[in-house]
Amino acid sequence: MAEIVIEVNNLAKYFPVTRGIFRQKKIADVKAVDGVSFTIHKGETLGLVGESGCGKTTLGKCILQLIRPTSGEVFFESKDLCELSDRELVPVRAKLQMIFQDPYDSLDPRYTAMDIIGEPLRIHNILNGKAYRDRVAELLDLVGLAPYMAERYPHEFSGGQRQRLGIARALALQPQFIMCDEPISALDVSIQAQIINLLDDLQQKFGVAYLFISHDLSVVRHLSDRVIVMYLGKVMEISNRDELYKNPLHPYTQALLSAVPIPDPAVELKRDVIVLQGEVPSPMNPPSGCVFHPRCYRAFADCSKIVPILGDAGGGHQVACLLYNTSRP
Amino acid sequence: MAPLLEVRNIKTYFHTQDGIVKAVDGVSYDVNRGETIALVGESGCGKTVSALSILRLVAEPAGKIVSGEIVFNGIDLLKLSDTEMHKMRGAKISIIFQEPQTSLNPVLTIGRQISEALEFHKNMSVHEGMQEAVHLLKLVGIPHPERRIYDYPHQFSGGMRQRVMIAIAISCQPQLIIADEPTTVVDVTIQAQLLELIRNITKDLNTSLILITHNLGIVARYAKRVFVMYAGNIVESGSALDVYHYPCHPYTVGLLASVPRLDEPRKIRLQPIEGQPPDLIFPPAGCAFQERCAYAIPQCQNEKPKLTEITPNHYAACWVSQKGSRPWQKS
Amino acid sequence: MTAPANTVVAERPHHTLWGDAWVRLRRNKLAMAGGIFIILLALAAIFAPLLTPYTFAKQNYSAILQGPSWAHPMGTDQLGRDTFARLLYGARTSLAVGIFTQFIVICIGLPIGSIAGYAGGKVDNYLMRFVDVMYAFPDILLVILLRSVLGGSIFNIFLAIGLVAWVNIARLVRGQIMSLKSRDFITASRAMGGMGRHITWRHLLPNALGPVIVSITFNVPRAIFTEAALSYIGIGVQPPTPSWGTMIQDGFGLIFAKPYMLLFPAIALALLMLAFTFLGDGLRDALDPKLRR
Repeated sequence: MAEIVIEVNNLAKYFPVTRGIFRQKKIADVKAVDGVSFTIHKGETLGLVGESGCGKTTLGKCILQLIRPTSGEVFFESKDLCELSDRELVPVRAKLQMIFQDPYDSLDPRYTAMDIIGEPLRIHNILNGKAYRDRVAELLDLVGLAPYMAERYPHEFSGGQRQRLGIARALALQPQFIMCDEPISALDVSIQAQIINLLDDLQQKFGVAYLFISHDLSVVRHLSDRVIVMYLGKVMEISNRDELYKNPLHPYTQALLSAVPIPDPAVELKRDVIVLQGEVPSPMNPPSGCVFHPRCYRAFADCSKIVPILGDAGGGHQVACLLYNTSRP
Repeated sequence: MAPLLEVRNIKTYFHTQDGIVKAVDGVSYDVNRGETIALVGESGCGKTVSALSILRLVAEPAGKIVSGEIVFNGIDLLKLSDTEMHKMRGAKISIIFQEPQTSLNPVLTIGRQISEALEFHKNMSVHEGMQEAVHLLKLVGIPHPERRIYDYPHQFSGGMRQRVMIAIAISCQPQLIIADEPTTVVDVTIQAQLLELIRNITKDLNTSLILITHNLGIVARYAKRVFVMYAGNIVESGSALDVYHYPCHPYTVGLLASVPRLDEPRKIRLQPIEGQPPDLIFPPAGCAFQERCAYAIPQCQNEKPKLTEITPNHYAACWVSQKGSRPWQKS
Repeated sequence: MTAPANTVVAERPHHTLWGDAWVRLRRNKLAMAGGIFIILLALAAIFAPLLTPYTFAKQNYSAILQGPSWAHPMGTDQLGRDTFARLLYGARTSLAVGIFTQFIVICIGLPIGSIAGYAGGKVDNYLMRFVDVMYAFPDILLVILLRSVLGGSIFNIFLAIGLVAWVNIARLVRGQIMSLKSRDFITASRAMGGMGRHITWRHLLPNALGPVIVSITFNVPRAIFTEAALSYIGIGVQPPTPSWGTMIQDGFGLIFAKPYMLLFPAIALALLMLAFTFLGDGLRDALDPKLRR
């Protein structure tokens, strides 16, 4: 197993909810991320799956310290990033980058592609003049765009091309880790495949590790080496990719997989869909015990009382569910 | 039995700062009673515009339905007066939009918004309308409907708001519902809930449904017949089984190949469709897809193919298919 | 990853955001008319010595209170000074006040608004309460107070008006920056290692510029009018420096006998203010990206 690039220990982020006009009094916490631990290895892709409100984006931003976690540790190059100040983080940020979901919002509309891609180089004072321009041209080429497009503005590109610009920008400083926050959800289906292939190729070439956040299970399966399933701020299941899709243990994972329609009418005719009841509860008021129990079709009495711990089910497969003995505290 | 709705050669154009955008350029399809069809395509292909054209909701003066007919129950909707069309919308044909945030009025209670259609089309009083609203909310699975009719949209989650949209859409027992990307903004499990709900309701009320989406999985699960759109035209149509198993247009082939499938072993590399969709202001001569097509022949560059029948009830607009060959079919 | 990704929307004409805005502005006839009027007036004011043989101070007791004639196209005032000349030189005062006060407004309002908007929290709270206090004062009274304290030179007039007018810009900039802060491209800049100063200068201010430009364009006629009002009540620029406000004051007493004395400066003031207002309206429409047809 390759060396560990990022290690996350018991990460938690609570957003206080306050009330009051003059002195804000805290009445509750929105537990966006509630005790998450995992590791990411060099050159690997860790897929992070979950629906809206599960905390996956908050988790990603906490790792990069764009949101400061409430508690927990994030280790990178033997340093705990949570302990570093913003100024101390600047050199570290060169090695940890991010790609965004919205190709329209993630680029400053007032600058050309050249300026946008070159901004990281500018901030860290690397390369000037011709070397700078050459590097930008090289990056454009890496993501499949022609060099003359460096002079264009974001609104002159299509969604897929803008996403390529974002990827070029993320690569500028040769990072070791890129956090991909739903990078293809806003793109058309045929363009999604282009970007997925691009991300794959770049990983082969440069050995970058990805945290690939998505709600699209089919895409996650294609790109990831290991997968984490989150629900309401907690990890439900972690596993190697093939194992998760062949043998999902957690009822939530099973429901997720069943809900994804397969593009084949013949297959769909024979499938039974597990339809979950109810809505995702508010993270301000999470259910007692296992956070999933109100919607779980296999829940029993203890599920509302005991919080399952992430237990080892063998072969790198971990699951947090009372149906499995290893998850009982 | 005549189809419930026949869209015949509709052309809807938009006048913009840069030129005329031919959003829908000669599109025809039909829906039978009680049937669910799907309009599939990616952004910019014209599927939403064609649906808005049916209800004559295209934004004027920039957008205009330039030619064609839309025959619903034997009547050409494009020839109706504004008042008569007004009576159609919400009553005989209703629509569910993609974004419940912007489709619902934030300052009116949910109950009033549902009863609005009932008051207008069925001449109910406010009180009767609210009572019917309770009944409808129960039908779409919202708990405690007697209390919820007094709530405002922001007090509902995204999935709940879509259910409210569905309730509004079915309130006057329409014969046809148009669902424009109804689940794009919600999560996978909520999507499953909503689509199952729509399926059950349309089955119970024997309503026809036009499902507009870019998600090939949803189409496979819910639609009986499929119309694939690209750059303002229909490029392939037929039963879902035919189109998915024996596609006759390279675009459909490309789409199917570029989507990873959970039930198949993992492919080492996806097969995207290279390139970008064409600019609708300056469309290429000949076939709109040929620049991206791996199977193009010289004829594709010069002449735009027309939708022709390849096998019974399976149509495609492709010269290669029309010549009888299907180089993409492996078996 | 080859050529096909490069099929840009290259058929469409290449235009930048500013270029786009300029095209839209050009289409707005009123705004263009306003802009041209301002430019012409500025040129006339600068080249005043070439346009009239008289100076604004030259008194000619043999030609007092004359109506418009060939010698004096707009007549003379009670001291025999040529009205047309005074109007032209007075334009210098008005335009100078209009424009230079905005420098002060930007120098104070922009930093305060940006710091409040970007820092948030307590800093924002304190700064905004200060702004609220300033805002609560009736502005004319405050200007009069400052003017009395500072004295009557034209630079002190700039100061007095500017020190009161920055409040709106501060609020505006703060609002813009607060809404921009949450945009993804700002997060991206932070993720690359960008710190406060870099992000503010490179991303926040350029994007907040649009509404600020519009607001300043609307501020100018207000400043001009304030100066005219000050001069009207006698505490504006001191004679013999000409000011349209003073001219209006002089003309007011003779409104029935010699109406043209009031009319010319009053119409000039009204036209200049209208011109800036039309231009401001046009700029607002042109700079709003959502209004693109």
